[in-house]
Amino acid sequence: MLAPKRVKFRKRFKGRTKGMATRGNTVAFGHYGLMALEPGWISNRQIEASRVALTREMKRGGKVWIRLFPDKPVTKKPAETRMGKGKGNPEGWVAVVKPGRVMFEVEGIAEDLARQALALAAAKLPIKSKFVRREER
Amino acid sequence: MAQIVSLAASLRQAAGKGAARQARLQGKVPAVIYGHGRETQSLEVAAKALEKALTGVEPQNTIIELALDGKKVKTLIREIQRHPLRPDIIHVDFYEIHAEEKVRLKVPVHLVGNPDGVRNAGGVLDQVTREVEIEVLPEHIPDRVELDVTALKIGDSLHVRDLSIPSATILTHADLTIATVVPPRAEEVAAPTPETATEVAEPELIRKVREGEEEEGAAAAEGVGGAGGGGGAAKPEPKAGGGAAAAKGEKGEKSEKAEKPKGGKES
Repeated sequence: MLAPKRVKFRKRFKGRTKGMATRGNTVAFGHYGLMALEPGWISNRQIEASRVALTREMKRGGKVWIRLFPDKPVTKKPAETRMGKGKGNPEGWVAVVKPGRVMFEVEGIAEDLARQALALAAAKLPIKSKFVRREER
Repeated sequence: MAQIVSLAASLRQAAGKGAARQARLQGKVPAVIYGHGRETQSLEVAAKALEKALTGVEPQNTIIELALDGKKVKTLIREIQRHPLRPDIIHVDFYEIHAEEKVRLKVPVHLVGNPDGVRNAGGVLDQVTREVEIEVLPEHIPDRVELDVTALKIGDSLHVRDLSIPSATILTHADLTIATVVPPRAEEVAAPTPETATEVAEPELIRKVREGEEEEGAAAAEGVGGAGGGGGAAKPEPKAGGGAAAAKGEKGEKSEKAEKPKGGKES
């Protein structure tokens, strides 16, 4: 699963996700892509599940680009713990996604197969998304 | 030869985002014209007419004949800004050109044919570069550049030097790869077992860990290690005192609290 090798700080603030993606909002590498329509956090497990669904449907043909990287640590307090006593322990990694972000791109397959494969990948994600082509958005 | 498309535009007096938004609400697209020594002017064009003019053509290398103030100005589109989500155009840059002056622009490269490596060996055609920059007279602007990839086998590639564009100078570096046929992907690695998947390995810290933090981090790491079996070489070395405190549970928390004033907080 995707995770950073080195980080500056173990824990990070939650933050708020405002606005739309001003970068990474075009299909840059492949022919078809999956664009986020909502803001959200996408965990490395969800990215991996999407990738597996995508490559299986493509039957290992074509090429896939993952344009997300889960670089934000999320923490969680242990079960049955009273509030306070500091921030919880790091439990996973997420990628912060804003609407308009092209999350996955594919190339080397027919459009109908790309639609099908990206729909399966979208089903693994916690946000709404849409299929996009290189020329149109 | 590039296509020529006609479009009507009018001067825009009001500037700024408020005026631009008002124009968009009225079905117009804010635009700007510059180039060939002319002063930059703010324009607006009808959104529907612009969309219609740009359908079926390559916007970057289509000559737009702009009807402005009763005159016709030949322009190229230098930039199109689009809405991040919707396909709406929000702003256009027009660049005035003259017949006897060479212009620099990017033309799309279209691959023609099915490579041998894809047909017979199951490879994947990867187009690395999709457009090349050229310098050309406006009358010789090509619509597109075609490159035949039929002979490519697995591992073969075509470069910018393999392109030939009549009466144009290619400015993009000659050694840049345009297309390559890559071998089919190997079998997928088996998915990790649920136990290994639940591990949260902590990455190495780039900055130096301060003394007080080190003990805190060690205590926290001990806790994580006990629950999920994670941790690894990336964690700071636990001190004898810190480790023992964590093992004692609540007492450990107390000792951690006592240590805080010495070290300070993470920021």
